[in-house]
Amino acid sequence: MTGGIAPARAREAALLGAGAVVLTLGAGALLLLAGGYDPVAAGAAMLRGSVGSWNTFVSITLVRSVPLLFAGLAVALAFRAGVWNIGAEGQLYAGAVAGVWVALTFSGLPRPILIPAVLGVSCVAGAAWALVPTLMRLRLGIGEVITTILMNFVGIYMAAWMVHGPLQEERGVFPQTDRIVEAARLPTLIPGTRLHIGFALGLVIAVALAFMMRRTRFGFHIRAVGAAPEAAAVAGRIDPARIVFIAFLASGSIAGLAGAVEVSGLTYALYENLSEGWGYTAIAVALLAGLRPGGVVITAIFFGALRAGAGAMQRDAGIPAAWVDVVEALVILAVLGLERVRAARPGSDVREGET
Amino acid sequence: MQLVNGRRLHWRIRPVVTLLVAGLVAGCGGESGEPSDTLRVALLTSGPVSDAGWYAGAYDGLLLIEDSLGASISHQQTATPAEFDEAFIAYASSGYDIIFAHGNEYQDAAIRAGEQFPDVTIVVSGGGRISENVAPLIFRLEEGSYLAGMAAAYMTESKVVGMVGGVAIPPARGTFVAFEAGVRAVDPEIEVLEVFTGDWNDVAAAKEATVAQLSRGADVIIHNLDAASFAVFQAVREVVDEGNVAYAVGMNSDQNAVAPDVIIGSAVIRIADAFLATARLWQSGGIGGAAIYANTEQDVIDFVFNPVLMDRVPAEAIERIASTKAAIRAGDVDIPRVVFVEGEDEGR
Repeated sequence: MTGGIAPARAREAALLGAGAVVLTLGAGALLLLAGGYDPVAAGAAMLRGSVGSWNTFVSITLVRSVPLLFAGLAVALAFRAGVWNIGAEGQLYAGAVAGVWVALTFSGLPRPILIPAVLGVSCVAGAAWALVPTLMRLRLGIGEVITTILMNFVGIYMAAWMVHGPLQEERGVFPQTDRIVEAARLPTLIPGTRLHIGFALGLVIAVALAFMMRRTRFGFHIRAVGAAPEAAAVAGRIDPARIVFIAFLASGSIAGLAGAVEVSGLTYALYENLSEGWGYTAIAVALLAGLRPGGVVITAIFFGALRAGAGAMQRDAGIPAAWVDVVEALVILAVLGLERVRAARPGSDVREGET
Repeated sequence: MQLVNGRRLHWRIRPVVTLLVAGLVAGCGGESGEPSDTLRVALLTSGPVSDAGWYAGAYDGLLLIEDSLGASISHQQTATPAEFDEAFIAYASSGYDIIFAHGNEYQDAAIRAGEQFPDVTIVVSGGGRISENVAPLIFRLEEGSYLAGMAAAYMTESKVVGMVGGVAIPPARGTFVAFEAGVRAVDPEIEVLEVFTGDWNDVAAAKEATVAQLSRGADVIIHNLDAASFAVFQAVREVVDEGNVAYAVGMNSDQNAVAPDVIIGSAVIRIADAFLATARLWQSGGIGGAAIYANTEQDVIDFVFNPVLMDRVPAEAIERIASTKAAIRAGDVDIPRVVFVEGEDEGR
């Protein structure tokens, strides 16, 4: 981590952080007042619903943060390598479909084999979903922003088709799969809560990515290619195409894992609307974290808390979903905006080679 | 590629979290879980309660329960299956008595929550699974859409009518099967078109589908959609404005006032009445282990003509529909439907 932060810098950062909170609270309160809602009750509900108790924090906030953690790490890794993977959403669905397929098809396998198989195959599926945009970029020079977005639609509708068709529950009534067997479900991480080991797996991946980025030759290559591909090729004798290829597929596989972890850790069946756009929220999660894996852990939990609190604002303060969404968007805008203001100040270390 | 910044972001987030926690400690003490005699009722919907249809009816039901039974109420709109579990747990653990989960999508989460919280009662609208404290609330909307089919058969001049649906789940398919049977009961020669857009709220898809059916000659269109139903009315209105004769049929709630210029009548679920009756049933200890049915007999399901366009309806149609309604109440009409509740037979 950063060794010598000048005290002035730290104070500035703290001030800006506090500024973000005050600004957001002010804007949100005004907005709620304008709508005729009680901002104090809303704020109290937000806090109670996200960090109100240990169990709330673990069973709701942390549980909500899990898909954002995986997808956020996937996006951060890709962006670091200069790959604009906007396709985490589609890769997530591909992973969920593949994972649930394995869990349903090989339901007789013992747990120590079945769970790794579910997760492993979801990685492959996520990577496969990323393969099309990867090849189109490397072979045809087509920008991945467009292709990954388009692959999202394919992924979302593919999952919808699966639960209406090949993977639909045996009774053939509702658009969902049968529930997966016990042996395919992720064990609970903290007894008495809803938090499953998927969260721990996400932390492990975050640590591994952080180590790789900072301490390995490959991590250096990723950062070099992400910063300046030509320079990396000329000066560092790095093959940018190879780095892009690996980073893109690795990003896809982590996003694919997000889908399978959600299914085998929480929902135990595949439904049409599995994700509420986690693959897109993950972009904000990753950017807010400065594309640092460690930061992604914190921002994913922050967004998880936001979503958890949003639910409580509806339940306990009677504020309609649309208002809650607007307030939530304000929070994100305020935090992103203030972060940018800080970064743009003269003397701030916007970009260094060091992670 | 200026995106790589925020090097010390955690310094920013950390005070945020600290403040959140500090605010929490200072602000809100524990006030949940107070034991009281007030009935506490919650509603979950996966769409906006401003749809003037399926979700709006449920929300009205919640308000009706508040007014009539003095209940304390709460509503949450949820999006993903993971959120369903969370909302059930939040409501059940803070002492709510009844949770209305307004759609079959909630059924698996409802069963899970029901096991975990034996004291709560969960009512799943259109659900298919039953347990000790989880009961599906089944609206026999087939009865209303059968009558709507008869009305459509009397109104069509082109002898082609259309049906625009959202997701092809069994309750929705059931209403269309019954609509078609109602049409054929009047005139077996009439052609009936059917399409499911795959989305209850996709306005663009619904409009496109309606325009396609109108251009294939349909002049009466029934829908089974939520917020996207407005698109059906709009598409019909556009061909009417061009000087053609065409009608739409409302569904799920009395939509006659939503587009009084084009809607000939609505197949209605009085969801609010059904919710109130269900809450009363709960108070008398009558819920558990079985599906709850809401039908024409209880006046929860109905077909109502739009008074504004009533003068265009042939007298024969009005008479025949009224007599059929009475026959349905008496259980004398065999209306086809799609069975989807666990252990349910073909019986009424």
